Amino acid sequence: MKKLNLRKDQIQKIGLSLMGFVFLLYVYFSFFLGPLNRSRNATLQAMSDRQAKLSSSKDDLTRAATLERDAKNATTRYAALRALNPEGAPIAWFPPRVKVFFANEQLDKAVARLEGSGSLKQSELSGWAKYQWAIDLPQADYATLGKAIADLENAEPLLTITRLTISTLPDQPQYQQVDLRVANVIQKK
Amino acid sequence: MGLHLNLLHEEIQQQRDRQRDPLKIGMMVLAGIGALLFLYYGWNAYRTIEIKSRFANVDREWTKIEPSVTAAQKRADELTGIIKTTRVLDQYIDSRFFWGPLLQKIARCIAPNAQLTSFQGALLEDNKSIGVSIEGVAAGREPRAVAEDLRQMLLEQLGQSYSDVKIEFKTLEDLDTIVNISGSNMAMAHYALTITFNQNPPVKPAASPAKSKK
Repeated sequence: MKKLNLRKDQIQKIGLSLMGFVFLLYVYFSFFLGPLNRSRNATLQAMSDRQAKLSSSKDDLTRAATLERDAKNATTRYAALRALNPEGAPIAWFPPRVKVFFANEQLDKAVARLEGSGSLKQSELSGWAKYQWAIDLPQADYATLGKAIADLENAEPLLTITRLTISTLPDQPQYQQVDLRVANVIQKK
Repeated sequence: MGLHLNLLHEEIQQQRDRQRDPLKIGMMVLAGIGALLFLYYGWNAYRTIEIKSRFANVDREWTKIEPSVTAAQKRADELTGIIKTTRVLDQYIDSRFFWGPLLQKIARCIAPNAQLTSFQGALLEDNKSIGVSIEGVAAGREPRAVAEDLRQMLLEQLGQSYSDVKIEFKTLEDLDTIVNISGSNMAMAHYALTITFNQNPPVKPAASPAKSKK
């Protein structure tokens, strides 16, 4: 095998060439190919995200259209339940409404007082509040009262009578004094 | 044999040295590798530009569709909320206890000689159970029996519509007062009844299985 005899200046030149080669590789990968690859990978990732969004968006549109069809009954019912209670603070409209309701049932002098209010424990009803009311009927006869209570329960589906006290009037045993405690679910507005 | 003199020996040697110059060879190798790397870079750049062009198309499509998708998602969330809220409200409405029918049943049970003087009812345990206490006076030759008849009647009537009906006397005591009913004097007793029941209807017993013919 022929021995390669290199002079000192030639070895220096080879070393210089190798250094140049290494420098070239460094510059190439660090400043040219690396950024290009990073940019391409980022674009690929972004495109993959967009395509996933596009494909899921079609499902979303279909789901919304199906839901809109299926929820027709629920939305109508929801609107009806919301319409049960007028705008404004319940303390402003509930007592007069109760007074008018019982007056129409031949039970005069009904007085409703707000006892308290609070949130409901169900998370679905976070937009609704429960109001506790005390309703006094100073004079009522049993049959009329029973009918009035039945009408009240039918007319106000979001109202629950939680306590009912009927006691006879000492001087008029044919009449009774009535104390109702009711809870009404009202949307927060 | 003639003498051959190479007078250009040094010149030839220099030319050979120039040709075998490692720096020159290295530069040529570097240029070759550089050219390859440049071609590779160009290929990669082309692919990147092509991907960016595809991405621009996809992005344009997404920008076009995004408002309607966002609106659809918002509407779907709103509808889901409405459905859930309506369901819970309906459950609330359905689980209410109706006092009207209870008052009617009690009115039917009260005989003319068993007067009711006080009624107190309240919902217990999350609207499932109802507690009622009624007080009154009963008149008759055996006023305690009249009160017991009332208790039995209530038990029977309420048991038809509600489950777990329990009716107990809280107090039952004779009164000194004598009352005149339809021309005859009768003794009186004061009673207080405690009633508890569940608003769910009573569970009817399952029909017995038909006997198989042998």
